[in-house]
Amino acid sequence: MNTNLKISNVTKIYPGCVANDDVSLEFNSGKIYALLGENGAGKSTLVKILSGVVIPDEGKIYLNKNILELNSPSDAKKNDIGMVFQHFNLFETLSVFENLIIDSDEQRENLKEKIDTIMKKYNFSVDLDVPVLNLSAGQKQKVEIIRCLIRSPKVLIMDEPTSVLTEQETSELFLSLKKFSEEGILIIYITHKLKEVMQLCDEVAVMRRGKLVSVSQINNENIESLANKMVGQDLKTIKKKKENTSSEQLIKITNLNFTSEDPFETNLVDINFSLNRGECLGIAGISGNGQSELFQVLSGEIISNKNSIEFNKNFIGNLNPQERREYLMAFSPEDRLEQAAIPQMAIFENVALNNFKSSNFFNNGLINESKIKEHSKKIISEFNVNTNNIDLKSQFLSGGNLQKLIIGRELITSPDLLICFNPTWGLDVGAINYIHETLIKINEQNKSIILISTDTDELLKLSDKISVIHRGKLSKIMNAEDVTSEKLGILMGGGN
Amino acid sequence: MIVDVNFVGLIIASIMASAVPLILASCGELITERSGVLNLGVEGMMIIGAISGFALMTVTGSLIIAVFGAMLAGVLISTIFAFLTQTLITNHVATGLALTIFGIGISAMIGKNFVGIPGKEFPVLFEGLKDTIPLLSPILFGHSIVFYFAFALPFITSYFLKKTKIGLIVRAVGDSPESASNQGINVRFVRYACILYGGAMCGLAGAYLSMIYTPQWIENMTGGRGWIALALVVFSTWNPIKILIGAMIFGGLTIIQFHMQAIGVRIPVQFLTALPYIVTIIVLVVISRDSRKIRLSTPSSLGKSFHKDN
Repeated sequence: MNTNLKISNVTKIYPGCVANDDVSLEFNSGKIYALLGENGAGKSTLVKILSGVVIPDEGKIYLNKNILELNSPSDAKKNDIGMVFQHFNLFETLSVFENLIIDSDEQRENLKEKIDTIMKKYNFSVDLDVPVLNLSAGQKQKVEIIRCLIRSPKVLIMDEPTSVLTEQETSELFLSLKKFSEEGILIIYITHKLKEVMQLCDEVAVMRRGKLVSVSQINNENIESLANKMVGQDLKTIKKKKENTSSEQLIKITNLNFTSEDPFETNLVDINFSLNRGECLGIAGISGNGQSELFQVLSGEIISNKNSIEFNKNFIGNLNPQERREYLMAFSPEDRLEQAAIPQMAIFENVALNNFKSSNFFNNGLINESKIKEHSKKIISEFNVNTNNIDLKSQFLSGGNLQKLIIGRELITSPDLLICFNPTWGLDVGAINYIHETLIKINEQNKSIILISTDTDELLKLSDKISVIHRGKLSKIMNAEDVTSEKLGILMGGGN
Repeated sequence: MIVDVNFVGLIIASIMASAVPLILASCGELITERSGVLNLGVEGMMIIGAISGFALMTVTGSLIIAVFGAMLAGVLISTIFAFLTQTLITNHVATGLALTIFGIGISAMIGKNFVGIPGKEFPVLFEGLKDTIPLLSPILFGHSIVFYFAFALPFITSYFLKKTKIGLIVRAVGDSPESASNQGINVRFVRYACILYGGAMCGLAGAYLSMIYTPQWIENMTGGRGWIALALVVFSTWNPIKILIGAMIFGGLTIIQFHMQAIGVRIPVQFLTALPYIVTIIVLVVISRDSRKIRLSTPSSLGKSFHKDN
């Protein structure tokens, strides 16, 4: 049976922001639809309306010509709309089976049978008796999908499903989604990743600032055209000028080792490299191969042997991050809200946090608020942070704006070396472009970067030298021109 | 020296009797906390139960009205807590502390007229079997119905949480109210129900103290048992069976240190009085060391307000 889902003139206004502005869309089963837009474009609000979590101010939803009253998530369920959220809606401490039975009206045995059938059919393998917190992100997502499939949905909505998946898991997911679509389930796929849209979807709707910008067939689009529609302006393609960098050595790591007591951490084995001024060293690898340990050792969160790190002719291996900052190092950790900024504190307070000593932010133990605010305003305007309220708690900044603030906070002291870890993870195209431009600019100012990233495209674009980390060991340092993404892929998998 | 086995049986029975209010209050609070609500008002709810039970018994003369009245009083006072924390989204800790202070104050006020009035005898079950089996008889027979209920409660609670759908929903709400809400579970309703249930059990625990354990009204007669009950919940890592163990150790040491003082053991009294508190916590910490199990049984949202935004 065919399914037709129609969104008609939906508007949702939040204080200070129009999340959905008169959006109308129509979907038919048998196709996979992409809903594309940058963070904050209104995609998530729209799907929350479809799943009954958010009630629109105006507009109607029709399923097969019947008007839908979606006042709560259970209404969506009753009307056969299934939804897999970006942040999993699972109960971590309950077992997989308990997670599945909780919103099901079926008997234990029947449900078990049904789950077994689904798992066999789509080749899923998840242990039903373990608590969800022991599962990988990909497995958790499968649990969410099974939860939807149990109700044999007509519509399945996936909200940014690949942001937590490995490439292998992503391709498995795409296979499943194609299979669902062939079986007549209408699939709406929300994303800001253009490659995925091209790979998976049949039709694409682009949203920008709450408005629907275009609806088109995938065949008529390409990555550039979609990117331009999404951002609303022509994106410059950034290219790094390869010029002769100076031969003055800035940092040298010698026989650096780290042995962790935590069995979930990776030990670092004999790390050796050096970096000249004005260069960018990219460190590639599949996540969990020692990147976060390497970042912590380099930043001083983990203290090592004094002589293992030579920076600007000083031995600093035994210094903490604050002391290393005084030697003009700067850091941008991976997790923006957990490690780089304190979410409940205002922007200007977060700006003060990395600058305890070498500034005039504090007088005799008192906070000099006006100085800090002045400084924060400078960062906000120089680094394009899209807010003018420096009293705003940093948790309310979008990922892109927060990353700009963090990079800005680090760079405004003009450090000699910036160490960053996945600086563009989870950001939209516009913000990624801006961060990339900024990183290239600091290289041009003869300052150096160590870029630890799991995004190989990013590494190839920005690095002068590249190395791969695998199980805590660093490969030999290669010139970026001699490296291809295939070669990196082999090294990342542990090959030669 | 010949030890009379029935005397040993009597000591064990008295230990069990002193554990009853702790088990009742802890098992009630455990359900509340498993739904993610931290109610520090246990002491206050217990003392309200104690005075309500005693007052109703004196006024109406009916034990049944008194027991259920005490539970209802616990429900009513916990409704205040539920309204404040769930509807008005106040802070759990501050509201719970206020509830305890309120409970102690109001019970003292009502209790003024009941000081010195003797209690009534509470009927016991199976009294005729008291002399049948040596050692076991005094332990098993001749207790009030509340006593038997208290020792069944940890097992009922455990079964409820692990095996029933409603128990699963309670755990789910405590684990992640956001997810539960997105699954169409009414988080506020579940939490209200759990708070009210906790109130009823604390009320019953209080009534046990003033009507059965020491049948009289003394101001502040709960004497910190509410706080011990709270500690038992946490240190048992939200496991009802371990609550039973903890309550028995606490009750046992309380009784034994009385006997030690009576015999005249040359250990400072202060140390003996502190002993039950210290040992109970040490034992529970030791038996609950498995960090994986702690992670699995700790309600992740404990004490955090849930506000459904739209």
